[in-house]
Amino acid sequence: MSDAIVPYSPRGRARAIKGFLGQFLSYGGAQVGLVCLVFFLVVAAMPNILVGPLQTAINATGEFLEPPSSQHLLGTDEVGRDVLNLVVHGARISLTIALLATVISLVIGTTVGMTAGYFGGPVDVWLMRLTDFFFVVPSFVLALVITPVVLEVIGRGRDILGFRPSLFVIIVVIGLTSWAFVGRIVRSQTLSLKERTFIDRARVAGSSNLSIMVRHLLPNLVPQIAANGALVVTGAIYVETSLSFLGLGDPLQPSWGTLLSLAQRAGAASAGAWWYLGAPGLCVLTVSLSFVLIGNALEDTFDPRRRVIP
Amino acid sequence: MPDNADILRLESLQVHFPIQGGMLDRVLGRPVRAVRAVDGIDLNVGRGEIVALVGESGSGKTTLGRVITKLAQPTGGRMLFEGRDMTSVQGSSALRPYRHRVQMIFQDAYQALNPRHTVFDIVAEPLRSLRLVENGTQLAERVSEALASAGLNPPGDFFSRFPHELSGGQRQRVVIAGALAVRPELIVADEPVSMLDVSIRAQILQVLVDLRDKHHMALLFITHDLPLAWLIADRIAVLYLGKLVEIGTADEITFNPRHPYTVALRNATPQIGGNAGRAESPALQGEVPSAARVPKGCRFHPRCPLAFDHCREEEPPPIEVGPQHLSACWLANDGRSRSS
Repeated sequence: MSDAIVPYSPRGRARAIKGFLGQFLSYGGAQVGLVCLVFFLVVAAMPNILVGPLQTAINATGEFLEPPSSQHLLGTDEVGRDVLNLVVHGARISLTIALLATVISLVIGTTVGMTAGYFGGPVDVWLMRLTDFFFVVPSFVLALVITPVVLEVIGRGRDILGFRPSLFVIIVVIGLTSWAFVGRIVRSQTLSLKERTFIDRARVAGSSNLSIMVRHLLPNLVPQIAANGALVVTGAIYVETSLSFLGLGDPLQPSWGTLLSLAQRAGAASAGAWWYLGAPGLCVLTVSLSFVLIGNALEDTFDPRRRVIP
Repeated sequence: MPDNADILRLESLQVHFPIQGGMLDRVLGRPVRAVRAVDGIDLNVGRGEIVALVGESGSGKTTLGRVITKLAQPTGGRMLFEGRDMTSVQGSSALRPYRHRVQMIFQDAYQALNPRHTVFDIVAEPLRSLRLVENGTQLAERVSEALASAGLNPPGDFFSRFPHELSGGQRQRVVIAGALAVRPELIVADEPVSMLDVSIRAQILQVLVDLRDKHHMALLFITHDLPLAWLIADRIAVLYLGKLVEIGTADEITFNPRHPYTVALRNATPQIGGNAGRAESPALQGEVPSAARVPKGCRFHPRCPLAFDHCREEEPPPIEVGPQHLSACWLANDGRSRSS
């Protein structure tokens, strides 16, 4: 603890990010997760280039329930559509729903948790009772109830940004029902952060409550939010798959859940069409697993005892 | 150096923290007890004056510092800054003019700096939130100036560093620079050097003294270390269990203490060469009582070697024992100095 000269660093933040990435990538789980995720993101980003436009019953290219062959790498479904084509297009729908729902969930969870933790008192009590409500209500069941009602009210009509409204309903419903545990984690972290001296210093420096929350608390909450965000994505994928499996997805923009549902209805399991059930199933599994791996690696990297966080 | 006009005046300032009673207490209707952290303090700080607040841990010195910097709200008494009553002013926008004039230096520089902010952002924060600069160039100038006054040279080298890249002394200098940036008139320094190596202490103290000499800044220096207080301060106020027991010029308090607590504090100070020649005054016995159970009468009597019956019954008022020298002890004017 002397006044020794610490080497001059021209770009502190860039170096901190580099250090963080180096450590993050040293985890095997993070590598596997990232490779899988990048693969699926690329697939989801350009399905038309990879497998051509989405096949429908009208422009189906194969026989019924054809096993994998050189023509149809993952076989065909009960109306002759190429399963590879469906799965690749499904990736776009599944990932979009999961990621957007996660963004909604993190924004609500962080806002509620940070507000409750920072202000305390009655604000805390009421916001936490609200959180408790969403915490104990199983989000899947709530989504199951809300989705058909909203779909009925607004209809399955026109597109929004190229996505059909039923998908947006699913996104919003998943987002609104999965923020409770993010809110709790953020609140507990806020409670410990707000006792730190640098919050007092910020107050003496004349910062307003909003500025303290945005400029002091939020940057220090990023580790928790990021690590848990990865887990929220996994949950969102499961809920989306389940909802679609139960027929609440959109048949014209099939996600992996919708495909599983179609396969189930077509009797793929009893017909021995393992490719039809297996392909979307494996995709759901791989993507969820890679998010969990990334989330765990993030959590390890953000360990408060190592201060290499950007 | 100090002017006659006081910059800060505390009038019987009080901070009581109520103790949440149990269910049984409420059913039985027991009165709500309180931790009397600060229990009626009168103190004034002149322009450009350095006043040291000395006391053991638990004496309420940190709470007093937090009240003056408006981090805690007093429960009684008044606080006047440049004649204006600041006691009940609250809210970040209402306090802006006050924050501009009163800043704080924190004890633990490791904790007082946000690990996610660069040195530039840390020092610039008060300038930005108090809206003291108009543009980026001006901001950079003020930040450089503050870092340079705090002894970080050349300032530009530190702009993009993070707190974890700095040494302990450098961090404390950044904390000081953050307080200086707004050019305040009063700085409350809460044990600014207690976490630092002895070799760094002198340099940091020199920075603080220079500030007073160059910018005529008043300083309220909170410490538990009497020799340190004597070194830096014009006047010393000794705090015991939320109350001032003695106040006077630094030399008077150090060499002519009239309160047995001050004497005990002085004798408790280790010195190179041992405590030879001080044997006649016994070391302080026991610990500071809980501020939730302040003793009746003089609050120092359970530990006082000179206590007699009257001390257990009635609390002594501050008695003038010399010019600018007050001591709250029944024996303060006992004719002889207790310094021997």
